[in-house]
Amino acid sequence: MWWYIGRRALQAIPVLLGSTFLIYALVFLQPGDPIAALFGEKPVSDAVRDQIAAQYNLDKPFIVQWLLYLQGIFTLDFGVAYSGRPVTELLADALPVTLRLAFMALVIEAVLGIAAGFYAGLRRGKLFDSTMLVVSLVVIAIPIFVFGFLMQLVFGVRLGWVPITAGQDAGFRELLVPAIVLGLVSFAYVLRLTRTSVVENLMADHVRTARAKGVSDRDVNRRHVLRNSLIPVTTYLGADLGTLMAGAIVTEGIFNIPGIGNLAYQAILRGEGSTVVSVVTVMVLIYIVMSLVVDLLYAALDPRIRYA
Amino acid sequence: MPETPLPGQERFVAPIDETPLQETGVAIDDSQPPENQWKEAWKLLRRNWIFWISAAILSVVALMVVWPSLFTDLDPTRADLSRSLEGPSSGHIAGFNRQGYDVFARTVHGARASVLVGFLCTLVVVVIGVITGALAGFYGGFVDTIFSRLADVFFAIPLLLGAIVGLSVVNNLFPDRGFWAAIIAVVIALGAFAWPQITRITRGAVLEVKNLEFIDAAKAIGVTRRRNLIRHVVPNSLAPVIVTSTVSLGIFIVAEATLSFLGIGLPFGIVSWGNDIAAAQVQVRSGNRMGVMYWPAGALALTALGFILLGDAVSDALDPKRRSR
Repeated sequence: MWWYIGRRALQAIPVLLGSTFLIYALVFLQPGDPIAALFGEKPVSDAVRDQIAAQYNLDKPFIVQWLLYLQGIFTLDFGVAYSGRPVTELLADALPVTLRLAFMALVIEAVLGIAAGFYAGLRRGKLFDSTMLVVSLVVIAIPIFVFGFLMQLVFGVRLGWVPITAGQDAGFRELLVPAIVLGLVSFAYVLRLTRTSVVENLMADHVRTARAKGVSDRDVNRRHVLRNSLIPVTTYLGADLGTLMAGAIVTEGIFNIPGIGNLAYQAILRGEGSTVVSVVTVMVLIYIVMSLVVDLLYAALDPRIRYA
Repeated sequence: MPETPLPGQERFVAPIDETPLQETGVAIDDSQPPENQWKEAWKLLRRNWIFWISAAILSVVALMVVWPSLFTDLDPTRADLSRSLEGPSSGHIAGFNRQGYDVFARTVHGARASVLVGFLCTLVVVVIGVITGALAGFYGGFVDTIFSRLADVFFAIPLLLGAIVGLSVVNNLFPDRGFWAAIIAVVIALGAFAWPQITRITRGAVLEVKNLEFIDAAKAIGVTRRRNLIRHVVPNSLAPVIVTSTVSLGIFIVAEATLSFLGIGLPFGIVSWGNDIAAAQVQVRSGNRMGVMYWPAGALALTALGFILLGDAVSDALDPKRRSR
């Protein structure tokens, strides 16, 4: 088990290095003089220029700049933003609210998606099943920001049930509608995935055997059908946390939530490279950790899998 | 042949006169050409009503793309500020938006940019994904390691975030772009982070197909490895790729709208659904004249739905497990 975790963690290292290098190169290998950009219209003296270049490692070769950046990450030093605040502080401010939002979305999509997909799969071809399939298709086809605006208008403005925007210390009530909006597309995928695998499992030999032995319908459905159907769904949900945090760029924009998506978007618009790279690095890290967690969860769900 | 068979060589077959051959009722017409997978899938597809719904939607959209003047004579780039936010009237069934553009004309002409992005993006992703996935799955070893890790690197970066960063770079480098340059920029930005999905699917399918008996048979009659890959393995691994890419065509259209909504996709000068929905934000926030958003958003949703439904129907037709339904 520990051996397996160690090996998987080692395998993740090249992916982490590659992804951060890709984004780092994309952001920093652009033509243009960042120091001149920093000073705008004002002229820069050579002494100041040299000092800033040394301070931000701009006088060193590109690969060395990247390696120094990586070294910083390991000591939780993500560099300094244009405003002079350390990026680590910006992340520490923005990350909690986005994590809360993404986790709420994940729980909503998992619970509702699995429940609806399970029920739809058991009643394949019935009214509930067809309705859910149509709903899931429509949800996937409509851009998420359209839903965001409509829900904000209906629940926030017209009915006044929930606040229209959310602050940094937003709680459950403020984040409920944004989380639903954020999780909506993934809900549709979870629903379809669960339904497909429930339908497949219902026809499986071990389910027929269980029924033949006289196990009650409830137990068969719960212990043999649902449990086995959860395996592909778990993979999807694990990879989805990263996607949700990226999707937060749109949701946080609509509901004006000062989270990591907003931070990334503003930084991209302002061309603030160190913040952009840091946000992407955090998301890649979350993605890699979640894939590892999912792999280990497999063992709990599928007794055939053993990590020796 | 010895009179008494050696131990282990006995044949337990009934004498032929005890089980007379009977007519089975299944006649094979040797004069017909052999049916292949695609022909059979097409047969099943034709019987599926979902396919016909998506075909109907997509034909209308295709007409809008190639021949928008068939639907409207109005110029989508001609604004009349004095009619800003005016409601529907004769000749203008959807009314006007804030800038005084005719909403219906813009919806019709917006199809071109959205569908082009979806189409070209799918093309790029499928070409890169199938080549890398097929090479990785077929040759294995070092080739597999290189392409699979490369795919992992791109897959670990969320699609939307990667596309935004990529587009911001392009915007810095080429601030003024024409129609085609703008479309191609969005296609590259989305395609660069979306191909690993197709690579993984192709690799998985190739791994399954390459161990099938007919591949061994091809090897046995002296087909070279490369020819085997191109003529036998790849064509038989394409079914899941076609299903996924049809669905993702719809998803790319939605993604383009999201990028344009964020103000980083297509420049505002280009008539596109994403830009029009983004411009309608003010109307939506105030809940006044929502039709300005419903038209482009509805057209976009219907088009995406058309492709997703088509993908669903194709997957039913191509997947032998689901055929029995």
